[in-house]
Amino acid sequence: MTVSIDQQQEPKRDVTFRVFRFNPQVDSKSYFDDYTISVERGITVLRSLNYIKEHVDASLSFRAFCQAGICGSCAMRVNGLSKLACTAQVWDELAKCREPGIIKVEPLRSLPMIKDLIVDMDPLVSKMTHYSNWIDSTMPEAEMGRKEFLISEEEFERYDKATDCILCASCVSECSILRANKEYVSPAVLLKSYRMNVDSRDSIHDLRLSELVKDHGVWDCTHCYRCQESCVKSIPIMEAIHGIREDAIASRGAKDTSGAKHAEAFMEDIEKKGKLVEATLPIRTNGIVWTLKNLLPMAVKMIMKRRTPPPPPLVKSSKGIKIFRTMFREMSEHVKEDQKSHKK
Amino acid sequence: MKPFDIVIVGGGGAGLYAAMEAMKTNPALNIAVLSKVYPNRSHTSAAQGGANAALGNKAKDDTVEMHIFDTIKGSDYLADQDAVDVLCSEAPKIIRELENIGTPWSRMEDNTIAQRPFGGAGRPRCCYCADKTGHTILQTLYEQCLKKGVLFFNEYFALNLSLNGSRSRGLIAMNMKTGKVEAFTAKTVIFATGGYAKMYWNRSSNAAGNTGDGQAIAYRAGIPMKDMEFVQFHPTGLRKSGLLVTEGARGEGGYLVNKDGERFMSRYAPEKMELGPRDLVSRSIETEILQGRGFDSPAGKYVHLDLRHLGADLILSRLPQIREMSLNFEGVDPINEPIPVRPTAHYSMGGIDTDNFGRTVMDGVYAAGECACVSVHGANRLGGNSLLDILVFGRIAGHTAAEEAGKFQPGMIPESEVKECMDELRSKMQRSGHYERYGALREELGQTLAINVGIYRESSLLKKGIEDISELQERFTKVRVTDTSDVFNTNLMQVLELKNMLDLAETVAVGALAREESRGSHTRIDFPQRDDEAWHKHTLATLVDRKLIAGEKPVTMGRYELQERTY
Ligand SMILES: Cc1cc2nc3c(=O)[nH]c(=O)nc-3n(C[C@H](O)[C@H](O)[C@H](O)COP(=O)(O)OP(=O)(O)OC[C@H]3O[C@@H](n4cnc5c(N)ncnc54)[C@H](O)[C@@H]3O)c2cc1C
Ligand code: SF4
Ligand code: SF4
Ligand code: FES
Repeated sequence: MTVSIDQQQEPKRDVTFRVFRFNPQVDSKSYFDDYTISVERGITVLRSLNYIKEHVDASLSFRAFCQAGICGSCAMRVNGLSKLACTAQVWDELAKCREPGIIKVEPLRSLPMIKDLIVDMDPLVSKMTHYSNWIDSTMPEAEMGRKEFLISEEEFERYDKATDCILCASCVSECSILRANKEYVSPAVLLKSYRMNVDSRDSIHDLRLSELVKDHGVWDCTHCYRCQESCVKSIPIMEAIHGIREDAIASRGAKDTSGAKHAEAFMEDIEKKGKLVEATLPIRTNGIVWTLKNLLPMAVKMIMKRRTPPPPPLVKSSKGIKIFRTMFREMSEHVKEDQKSHKK
Repeated sequence: MKPFDIVIVGGGGAGLYAAMEAMKTNPALNIAVLSKVYPNRSHTSAAQGGANAALGNKAKDDTVEMHIFDTIKGSDYLADQDAVDVLCSEAPKIIRELENIGTPWSRMEDNTIAQRPFGGAGRPRCCYCADKTGHTILQTLYEQCLKKGVLFFNEYFALNLSLNGSRSRGLIAMNMKTGKVEAFTAKTVIFATGGYAKMYWNRSSNAAGNTGDGQAIAYRAGIPMKDMEFVQFHPTGLRKSGLLVTEGARGEGGYLVNKDGERFMSRYAPEKMELGPRDLVSRSIETEILQGRGFDSPAGKYVHLDLRHLGADLILSRLPQIREMSLNFEGVDPINEPIPVRPTAHYSMGGIDTDNFGRTVMDGVYAAGECACVSVHGANRLGGNSLLDILVFGRIAGHTAAEEAGKFQPGMIPESEVKECMDELRSKMQRSGHYERYGALREELGQTLAINVGIYRESSLLKKGIEDISELQERFTKVRVTDTSDVFNTNLMQVLELKNMLDLAETVAVGALAREESRGSHTRIDFPQRDDEAWHKHTLATLVDRKLIAGEKPVTMGRYELQERTY
């Protein structure tokens, strides 16, 4: 059936929404329904779904609330990528369809299915609770309300971006580890944990960190960068993950529990002549310079901590590897200098 | 389920603060918070601008007394002055308390909480976190509630109060995940369900769920609604969606410009210009448009909000959410182009009638936040005073309920009542046949309200509005829920929300027709003056035998005498 969202006299196109359906009460298996409607420019995926629900099939179920990209209710997979339906423009999506003119809409992954596009958010809330994603204030409750903590703009900036998170779970759905291991902490929870840990008002940094370095914690992350790439608020989630790792090494030492194993694996990769640079690092999406700027400092610090010599010259001399080699050398020098001046 | 001491309906700022405070007051109490969305999704997250408190961080000479005066004057002298005293004196304490538990406020150079100017305030006293103030407050409160182990019933939709004669014995709600109707026997119930401005539908800045559920439930239980005719229009809604461009944009120095390129606020508020109070700015824009000085487009008439002179740096650092919204919903980048805006229904001043402790007329039933009317906002709320209201009175209601829960011994909610409720819901479900479409009714309701009960009101328009609403109520009886499944039936939920909006819309329109004067957000073309002799009072709407009975209540005065309100 073709019906239209009648609005302005702008150009319209027939668009098919291929929507994932599953009602646990009656369906033993999920399936897809096709809804074709006429849509003009400037309409979001959510408005299209609303239209379908009101005019075509009232049983189509999805969450939506603010309709303005603020509340995080409407995250779903559109053309295979997790995002907010209320800010996804239909005409933009049309350019990304596998089959021309057909926009595929599916629920988020890695969270239990409830119905159609609705998944259960409770596991995420449980993880937030497990990792103490709150400030446990250094100020006793009885003294509260009388005076402010003095906090520098600089400190505020450390967690400013992280507090943008609207818990939409897009990153959760895209995380490669979560798909294999549902108990994995989750990128959003790492982000929140980091935000709490760099807040000077908080008193349980060590406790939170000790949970984060356990199994299913921060060291399980593969650095695939998918969470950051899919974050609907463009939050640099990886900075938080690196932040926690650096913090763990700084305050718990490189030989700490399972974390060390992962860290060593990471280092071995580098030492295997840049294999890591080619295979694991997100050069494809972030570019070599970015990758080195963000990942290398930690690697170098770890190497210096272990007092191992810098890795042997990297054999493959692609352009990227050359930059890598130079940067690695420079960075090693810096860290040495740093350590010297610290000892003084 | 074991009886609760306190059941809080709503997980926005008001509900969460109430929960936190109740647990603090008496940790032994058995408390539950019900919310139809996960608490962190509540509409409190949409508040971008900030919350007022006379901290004196920015303007050293700011005082609580000045905040009190600004609020009373802003309310067009309809606020109860004792309630405003509470609001403003508690403000610095509650903002600091929020800071102490982790709210990330933006900072001044001396590392104290940053403050900025906001409409209708004599000093810059609006505390903010970039343009995500409500979001960060809500996050902080939710985190603290998780820390304290508050018992949440997420995605539960409240249906009715269970009454034993004129006494409440708790709440009946539907679990969205299972479709089951469940009883929450409770000594006390606190409503914190947010506002009702979504009844203006496409001409509203509100979330889809701001449908006044708590108010409608209380109204049907015989609890009076107060000052329902006062609906605030925000001057700057995006032209296409009604979504909001915050006052922060004007606070940072944005201009309002008509199609002649004129900063027209000079005509209406020469001193404050764009920072005049909301009702005045909304009326000014509406007048410009009515007098033909607006821009025209297929999506409606509008004026420009111009930020270009602020520069890319400031827009990116201070107003990132605003930029994102204009890009997403208008396709306009405010760095290069002005934003098309027009007034949008934004905030409901009216609500469940409460005293300064959050009590309603019914024993054991309390209300706080936007769903309540204490009243601290009177005929017009000042920007930044609503977040403050939900925090201060959320806390007070939580405290009062915790102290008083021991006084009430309600009987258990009988199984038969739950079953009746379930049967009633089932009776609405029908897969096919010729019925009224709920989506159409919802849109028509919004339209008639925007036209007939909008910014400019007049007797014949209001009568038409009332007729339309009663016709829609009639047609509603023919609405059917075509999704017949139990699990997460959003179709059913939206139909129930529509019913709530229809019930409340009547109180808004009837109140507006009765009030034959112009005051604050309520502008009668046929009664352009404020009439203190006849109308310096609150209106009440109470449902008796399924009929709306109008009543009134005096305004509590204090140190401030009635004055003309000019800016
Ligand atoms: C776009 C926008 C911007 C704003 N900016 C500002 C600002 O800058 N400064 C300011 O002071 N104010 C601002 N406001 C106003 C302010 O945000 C609201 O008044 C305030 O957040 C309301 O809080 P609340 O706790 O009363 O309700 P909400 O935050 O709306 O919470 C209501 C809760 O009730 C629950 N609920 C509702 N119905 C049911 C039901 N049937 N069953 C179960 N649960 C239910 C919901 O799930 C939700 O958890 C703004 C409002 C809007 C719309
Ligand atoms: S980088 Fe880590 S947290 Fe992010 S998606 Fe990949 S595995 Fe998950
Ligand atoms: S980190 Fe980004 S994608 Fe993940 S939940 Fe938060 S806002 Fe959503
Ligand atoms: S509906 Fe709130 S983020 Fe999309």
